[in-house]
Amino acid sequence: MPTAEAIVPEQLVHEIPVTTRADMRVPARVFADGELWRQIEGDHSLEQLINVATLRGVSHCVYGMPDLHEGYGFPVGGVAAMRAADGVISPGGVGYDINCGVRLLAADLDAAAAAPELERFVHELSRSIPSGTGRGGRLALTDVELERVLAHGCRALVEQGLATSEDLDATEAHGCLTRADPAAVSQRARGRGRDQLGTLGSGNHFVEVQVVDRIEDAAAARALGLRAGRITVLIHTGSRGLGHQVCTDYVRLMDQAMPRYGITLPDRQLACAPFRSPEGQQYFGAMCAAANFAWANRQVITHRVREVFGRLFGAGGGLRLVYDVAHNMAKLEEHAGGLLVVHRKGATRAFGPKHPETPERYREVGQPVFIPGSMGTASYVMVGTDAALARSFGSACHGAGRVMSRHAAKRVQPGHEVRRELEARGIIVRCPSSGELAEEAPFAYKDVERVVDVVHGAGLARKVARLLPLGVVKG
Amino acid sequence: MVNASSEVLEHTAEVKLRVRAASLGELLGEAGRALAAVELGGLPPAPDGPWRPVEVRSSDRDALLVDWLNELIYLAETERWVPVEFEMETVAPTALRARARGVPVTVTPARVKAATFHGLRIVETPAGLEADVILDV
Repeated sequence: MPTAEAIVPEQLVHEIPVTTRADMRVPARVFADGELWRQIEGDHSLEQLINVATLRGVSHCVYGMPDLHEGYGFPVGGVAAMRAADGVISPGGVGYDINCGVRLLAADLDAAAAAPELERFVHELSRSIPSGTGRGGRLALTDVELERVLAHGCRALVEQGLATSEDLDATEAHGCLTRADPAAVSQRARGRGRDQLGTLGSGNHFVEVQVVDRIEDAAAARALGLRAGRITVLIHTGSRGLGHQVCTDYVRLMDQAMPRYGITLPDRQLACAPFRSPEGQQYFGAMCAAANFAWANRQVITHRVREVFGRLFGAGGGLRLVYDVAHNMAKLEEHAGGLLVVHRKGATRAFGPKHPETPERYREVGQPVFIPGSMGTASYVMVGTDAALARSFGSACHGAGRVMSRHAAKRVQPGHEVRRELEARGIIVRCPSSGELAEEAPFAYKDVERVVDVVHGAGLARKVARLLPLGVVKG
Repeated sequence: MVNASSEVLEHTAEVKLRVRAASLGELLGEAGRALAAVELGGLPPAPDGPWRPVEVRSSDRDALLVDWLNELIYLAETERWVPVEFEMETVAPTALRARARGVPVTVTPARVKAATFHGLRIVETPAGLEADVILDV
């Protein structure tokens, strides 16, 4: 449980006392420096964080990560833990893209050696991995296959040769939440997800080819198998239409169930039910199943990336999974002896070396954490700290965080100009929509260097390596 | 009376729509057209093909708007058919029966995950109704 002993430099933490609003049950704490705080104050994210602090059973404190920005219901970059015994679970606290997350693949191949084939590599990735929302992949599932994916996640893919045991070891929860209840996933949700396994989705989802630009912590980089100058591939996507529909279904169900539990809310999108209630358990089972679908989705994409990589560079280069971590999830976790439902909405689990859920191979350094920058800027590899358990329920941020609306970004610079600027910097771009490219322009995001400095300075995670983009396939 | 209209308002991460119309039925139809414009990335083309029934039941008027848009999102994604033209047959604060014509698409360009309750408001105005709704994209 976070305590007063968990000291964070004063200039990197902003307290919102429990007395700020009469309905708050706990205080809120935001990790940000002066500039990030100024940006956070510029939208409705603090009001949203305060709303979260009113939820029944919320424990100790709610947290805002340095990439905090306005979402719907929960802010993006918000962390809140509810007591499992008497607290609620909220689908809006997880979001529509259940288990949206990132995974990093590392190659034993120097970027310099790969350079002649790099454009072909990015182009072939864009051909092999369907991108836009609702755009089916090549892996349409039968009812039985979909059921297995919902129940077993990545484990369901091992027999088909789409995943290895090493991949499972390098995936949060081994790519399978055992509390999954496929029966709680509606036919409508199955209909939306059936042909979407192995697809990227739209918005800020991407596959990015990168080079390890700088090592910040040599020992940790060694443990993660990262070397300067080598190629990496970062994959960002989630549970696609299946997860979206699970959230839609359960926001509706809980919205109607709340009067029975005497729950009133400052924002209807925070619709929730007691975790121990039938509705709470049903949602948790469906959410776990959707999370399993998301891990399987990233695994199938990994398989496609490896196929393309193998064709162009030979099997010798390899593409090893460093780690896969979720950033939209509710997890049952023990914190200081209490069982909590930790909601991370646009926030990454960041467990330290001593935590039992940190993979065996990373017990010396901590669980890997990935912080993608905006398209065209650096991304960071970090590792979780044991101190983060006391500071943020073992959580760090999930990206740079938006600072400009999509609408405004398109007004500032059209997509073709964004593409031209990126290409002028040597970054290969494949994106089916010029408009969506404009929405994801680098200037629409916060400064990732500043965000990562706060995460590092606040002791939520430690810097390991900086990655620079070479090519990007946008959803 | 007011001609139905819609606009996109500022929101840091999502798409916020403001819709105005003379009646609840027209408001729902205009919201459906605004959704189609977001999904298709611009002004929707003329519909093609026959009318199809769309029905929604909800707990109240606000939920009706959210459920209606979520039904259209579901149809677009699962049937690769983006509804763009609507005729309201019966409209009540908790139920809607409508007909829709749409645009078949080979690759669904839809990018909207869901319509949300966050910041949702439907208010009476001298000219009719005005609604704000945020779409998760």
